Amino acid sequence: MSSLPLDKEAGGGRYPGFSTVAQSDHWDKTTAGVVLGRLARPADIRFFTPAEEATAKALFDQLLAQHAEPRIPVVNFVDARLAENQTDGWRYEDMPEDGEAWRTSLSALDRAAEESFNQSFANCSNEQQAAVLQAIQALGSSMWQGMPAGHVWGLWTRYACTAFYSHPRVWDEIGFGGPAYPRGYKNLGVDRLEPFEVADASPREDPVTHDGGVRP
Amino acid sequence: MSHVRNHNESAWLLPAGPGSNHRLRDDMRTFDDRDEVDIVIVGCGAGGSTLLQRLARAGWRAVALDAGPFWDPDRDWVSDEAASHHLYWTDPRVIGGEDPVPLGSNNSGRGVGGSMVHYAGYTPRFHPSDFRTFTTDGVGADWPLDYADLRPYYEDIEEELPVAGESWPWGDPHRYPHRPHPVGGNGELFLRGARACGITAKVGPVAIANGRFGNRPHCIYRGFCLQGCKVNAKASPLITHIPDALAHGAEVRADSMVTRIGFDEGTGRATGVHYVRGGKERFQRARTVAVAGYSIETPRLLLNSISTRFPNGMCNDFDQVGRYLMVQGAPQTAGRFDAEVRMWKAPPPEVSTEDFYETDSAKPYKRGFSIQTVSPLPIAWAEHVAAQGHWGAELRRYMSDYPHWACLGALCEFLPLEGNRVTLADEKDRHGVPVARFSYSQCENDRQLMGAAQSVMEKILKAAGADEVITIKRYAHLVGGARMAANEYHGVVDRTCRSFAVPNLFITDGSVLPTQGSANPALTIMAVAARAAEGLSAGKED
Repeated sequence: MSSLPLDKEAGGGRYPGFSTVAQSDHWDKTTAGVVLGRLARPADIRFFTPAEEATAKALFDQLLAQHAEPRIPVVNFVDARLAENQTDGWRYEDMPEDGEAWRTSLSALDRAAEESFNQSFANCSNEQQAAVLQAIQALGSSMWQGMPAGHVWGLWTRYACTAFYSHPRVWDEIGFGGPAYPRGYKNLGVDRLEPFEVADASPREDPVTHDGGVRP
Repeated sequence: MSHVRNHNESAWLLPAGPGSNHRLRDDMRTFDDRDEVDIVIVGCGAGGSTLLQRLARAGWRAVALDAGPFWDPDRDWVSDEAASHHLYWTDPRVIGGEDPVPLGSNNSGRGVGGSMVHYAGYTPRFHPSDFRTFTTDGVGADWPLDYADLRPYYEDIEEELPVAGESWPWGDPHRYPHRPHPVGGNGELFLRGARACGITAKVGPVAIANGRFGNRPHCIYRGFCLQGCKVNAKASPLITHIPDALAHGAEVRADSMVTRIGFDEGTGRATGVHYVRGGKERFQRARTVAVAGYSIETPRLLLNSISTRFPNGMCNDFDQVGRYLMVQGAPQTAGRFDAEVRMWKAPPPEVSTEDFYETDSAKPYKRGFSIQTVSPLPIAWAEHVAAQGHWGAELRRYMSDYPHWACLGALCEFLPLEGNRVTLADEKDRHGVPVARFSYSQCENDRQLMGAAQSVMEKILKAAGADEVITIKRYAHLVGGARMAANEYHGVVDRTCRSFAVPNLFITDGSVLPTQGSANPALTIMAVAARAAEGLSAGKED
């Protein structure tokens, strides 16, 4: 099962030895402060109730395929954002403000799990959780539990991806170099790497042609 | 040799290398609320800052208020996507209509410099045809001014930013003051694919100095243009117009949220602005008021400025305020290459084509689109991948392939439609002021343009060697919402940016644009503001 680092079979291990954090001596102090802060012990949960926390954690584990430790503590990052009301600066007319939308959609997710499997979402098996989510995604713009499914899906994936793909250990998995000030880049162009960059060890590992890699 | 320093010294007032001129800010002239200043400007973005600098040079006692902070890039900005959230307008806003348009990071700014702090840096001119689309193509609207009216201001602003790019063959052909930048993997593949398809593509036009400009350093190609340029290489009004404005006696009053425009029922004139700073309600008196809050906040402020004379909002006698708001259709198409592209290296703005900008009589739709490189960082790229329906293990697998993808973005000229508008929602912000509700729906021409642009991007990427392409449908930019027109039945301001209804109230931002072309709007917004400033300082305001 996928975790950190990602299994080779799941598309991991492509930039062997590459570490964004190892480059942190080249970052400006302001940036280093916020980025390295993500490696610290995460803030305690303040926004979610215990029940919401359990549901949200299971949701993020599914959306980001974090099925074993060590994990990026996505639920803590999202909780901190919501506690600070750090929204994206807009909401759909048919959705409440983000904080309320999270509470409503998480309790709806539990309701959906109860309807199908007679237990809370967090207590469902991995396969059951995936099935519940698959069904919601398949609704597209139709209504789900009184909300447009696509808007709920968008809310979940936006917050999940923002937390996960801002973490330096995840950058190592995707080959991204992270902060680049004040050093910048000098080798621009196709297949031109900086001395500190690590080339992809499996450049033909194309996710598009990978077996089972394409959803209809 | 350019004489830009003679009319805008900003680049020479900054410290050599990155950083801010703290002395200039500490020594800034300040006015009292009770002083009747010559002009108070609401908003310190592209339009407001340009107007402030021009009028300060002309000797006006000028104050510009901004709801957000007076940025110190060293302290406030980071080389990081998630931690740049504070650059956007994140107060509540409601979006609706058949095709709701997300706001926030996508198209709004907050703080001195406005959204140009985090725009990519593309600064193309509009084409001459953009100013008369109704006459020529039977769609959109005619401006009450021509391309020739704006051309001298385009030329000035291109010097002041300054803009780098190849000799430009489209629209009114012209040159740029700085040579084109070297390109990264993304730009290289765009050029390769375009050449193979017989499409002309050019490097530029970007407002990033190529070489030292005044005390501003050379670009370091770090790729974080959308997070605010810590280097001082990419232009924003914070470094291109504010320093010169301060040196000429202007005041920038940050952290000041304007809630209402003052109005004298007896004279029919604006008297200043009500604003909140540090929790205190204040009123700045002024002889002239200019609103430059961009296409959402400008209409919102007018609609919230209620009086006996204007029960439905200031300047809203004919229900024009907030209408004809436009976004550009901005689908992004990415292509997968076996080679490593590493598109995050080098600035996202590199290469453009305007081959498809004008109406093509062979096509079923009017007007057109442009195509440019865009280079999403990991969070934006995850959004692109997730938009394909991927999540869980598939999302992780796609994302680990990041270095192999190149990405292009289109700007489609969506048409100005009466029903696409800002109104007030029931919800209020922390100041108790009703927030904006923005409703947007596409028309058939818009949808056809999106489809056509996606096809061309797919063709270019495949011609460059991509084995697969994936597209995310999205929007970019805002203009309109308080447009200029020939008369008050069709718009809010005249060709000088003066409101039809209140003789000393001006609007000098993107909301006055009647059409948008397929061009990124920043340069045109600055040019329109510079033109309005010239009219004002020539004493034509009364």
